[in-house]
Amino acid sequence: MLLNRDMRDPALTQRLLLSMLALMLAWPIGHVAGVNPAALVEPANLRVVSSFVAGFWPLAHDSFFLGLLGDAVLQTLAIATVGTLLALLIAIPLAIGSTAALSVTAIGPSPSGLWRPALRQVLRALTLLLRGVPELVWALLFVRVFGLGPSAAVLALALTYGGMLAKVFGEILDSADRRPAKAILAAGGSRLDALMYGLLPVAAAELLSYTVYRWECALRAAVVMGLVGAGGLGQLMDQSMKAFNGGEIASILTAFLLLVLFADALSGLLRRWMANTRKDGRWRALNGWAFGLIAALACLASWRHIGLDLGALFGDRAGSDIARFLREFLPPAHDATLLAKIGSGAVETLATSLVGTALAALVGIALALPAAGRTGAVAKTLTRFVLNLLRAVPELVWATITVLAAGLGPFAGALALALHTGGVLGRLYAEALENAPPAAEAALKLSGAPRALAFLYGALPEVAPQWLAYTLYRWEINIRMAAVMGFVGAGGLGQLLYYELSLFRLDNACSVICAMLALALVVDQVSAILRRKMG
Amino acid sequence: MLTHFRRHALRGLAAFAFASLALPAFAQMKELKVSAIPDEAPTELQRKFAPLGKYLEKEIGMPVSFVPVTDYAGVVEALAAKRIDMAWLGGFTFVQAKLRTGGTAIPLVQRAEDEKFTSRFITADPAIKSFADLKGKTFAFGSPSSTSGHLMPRYFLMQAGLTPEKDFKTVAFSGAHDATVAFVASGRADAGVLNASVWDKLVESGKVDTSKVRVFTTTPAYFDYNWTVRGDLDPAVVKKLRDAFLKLDPTNPEHKEIMALQRATRFVPTKPENYHSIEQAAHAAGLLR
Repeated sequence: MLLNRDMRDPALTQRLLLSMLALMLAWPIGHVAGVNPAALVEPANLRVVSSFVAGFWPLAHDSFFLGLLGDAVLQTLAIATVGTLLALLIAIPLAIGSTAALSVTAIGPSPSGLWRPALRQVLRALTLLLRGVPELVWALLFVRVFGLGPSAAVLALALTYGGMLAKVFGEILDSADRRPAKAILAAGGSRLDALMYGLLPVAAAELLSYTVYRWECALRAAVVMGLVGAGGLGQLMDQSMKAFNGGEIASILTAFLLLVLFADALSGLLRRWMANTRKDGRWRALNGWAFGLIAALACLASWRHIGLDLGALFGDRAGSDIARFLREFLPPAHDATLLAKIGSGAVETLATSLVGTALAALVGIALALPAAGRTGAVAKTLTRFVLNLLRAVPELVWATITVLAAGLGPFAGALALALHTGGVLGRLYAEALENAPPAAEAALKLSGAPRALAFLYGALPEVAPQWLAYTLYRWEINIRMAAVMGFVGAGGLGQLLYYELSLFRLDNACSVICAMLALALVVDQVSAILRRKMG
Repeated sequence: MLTHFRRHALRGLAAFAFASLALPAFAQMKELKVSAIPDEAPTELQRKFAPLGKYLEKEIGMPVSFVPVTDYAGVVEALAAKRIDMAWLGGFTFVQAKLRTGGTAIPLVQRAEDEKFTSRFITADPAIKSFADLKGKTFAFGSPSSTSGHLMPRYFLMQAGLTPEKDFKTVAFSGAHDATVAFVASGRADAGVLNASVWDKLVESGKVDTSKVRVFTTTPAYFDYNWTVRGDLDPAVVKKLRDAFLKLDPTNPEHKEIMALQRATRFVPTKPENYHSIEQAAHAAGLLR
């Protein structure tokens, strides 16, 4: 019997209706985010961007500037290293305190009552607060309390990354094989014994590898924090941006990309090194010590470079400074005019994050297909390079460029989010596509379906849940980024925060930060619910 | 094998934690720490300060160091927290510093020019000729804490019946006066406002294309910038500093470069009362409570 080949998409009407509904919902959101694609092709804006980009060549390379650039690169490296070190010092006690794996009550009845679970909850809430406030906001606050320069960035990284590391360390410890630890606890060993000899040996490699990954992220974050005056490459970038010096910007971007590549290669090397050590026992002792020694030397050198004066930070002067600062911060202001401003800022920030993420998904899909090797090897290499480039440049740095193309306002912020997140999503989408079971699509093709339909009905259903999950996860990150976009002129809550801080209305600033936190938490919840529904 | 590696990794971590505890301590230096609100690019500020710093070092007999800063409010906070001893402040940042130090900050001297300071409204749009034409346009102020780049222009706009947040399409803060010019010249903002002294300097040095960007109005005069010291500085040092500034004379060849870089004909004594009208304007414009 011959199969009747129907070339039409059988779900066409349904899909069209859904798309139209989505467009109707997108319209008001796009309006709030100031979406205006026409601005991108306006001759005046095109002239600005092309003259700006034309200024990139030749790269600035006079010896004075290169000296500044070299210093800034070293400072950025040092900020990331010391920041990660301090984050570890914060994260380790938090993670150990909040992991259930070391709970005596969990393995049997205990007379100690309720305070330990309660302590775990308190520590978890603290972790949430630390990582809930974007590092850029911490940096802005520390710039005020401790003065400008790298110290503010180091402390901001320490807090946010301390919270992040604590959360992930806790998860690693919770999901690690608990049997050795339980056996030690059950045999009457102390919790410290259980931790050192039961839990840590099982989880050490994973903990170490995640820390190295975070250091890599810290490097990018260190650059971004410079944009609010916390030293390093970002601060240099900010100055060149304000002066509109294309050659300098191009040199800084090049240095930054090289730095990211270097960090990428280094962390890859470390991970491979650890994997090899497992195979070849001969050098393992040496390697363990060598890794520790190199890391310690790097930290020491970084510490010296930054000259972080802990005495001044935690001396009695600083204590009274912080106390005064906190007194002015609390209680948060809540007069009607401020709330109205916060409300419209929050809506603008939310719209920016939605439009940015949606555009990023489009960019991601468009690039994922060639990046997964579906249109040949040349296209694959080429798109992978583009994806890496998009991903390597942080959102805020993209924003300084997109405000040229789209003018000041939230649309520039959404575009910046779309460019960076598009790079991230494109790679994740492509990987999902490559790892998806090929059977369904192959079967459809073999039975004569055209390539496009075979993809839509064979491959897409396999990867769609994963794609959506990745997209929602990036939305959670983007709402936090959208909240700080205003620091570079892209509207929303960030601009409001910067304004209120400049005018020393700290109780107002506190309300804005609370709104940022609340918005991020709401988006986290919505995204979690959506993912559960799909999963 | 696996556990072996882990044990060594742990030892490595321990070594690394130990080594990082052995950290150097830093000693305090006896010096005068000076900063300035970053109303221009920080590299430009450092260039402007270098000869003045050398001169002050000689006059007060103490090393003088410049602390570069990229945030206006950061300078005010640093002065209040005694992390710097002297700062070049704008009228509004001086009022903020005065309020944050409980009225103890002392304004030392100002340039003769600062007694009659103005701001210039600029645009590259031929259709903009007066305040009324700004409605529905994007507008760039300098820093939110700037006197000549935000407070006074806002005050005069409001006197003319314009509320920036309501009447402009977008209100942006470029962060600095030279950045505002770059915003307007590039079309990122339809119009903007900046300090008259910086505008004149950019025009003189040919850094702005006046066939494209033009001034369409200038504000009435007000008191602006001064050199302020923190209130608990040794009075002997304060006196030396004030005398050093007042002694500066552009006809003296040794002082010529300093005065040219500071864009000053001479320095004159100043007092807190000079800035009362700025404080009132800040209240009227809703920038102070």
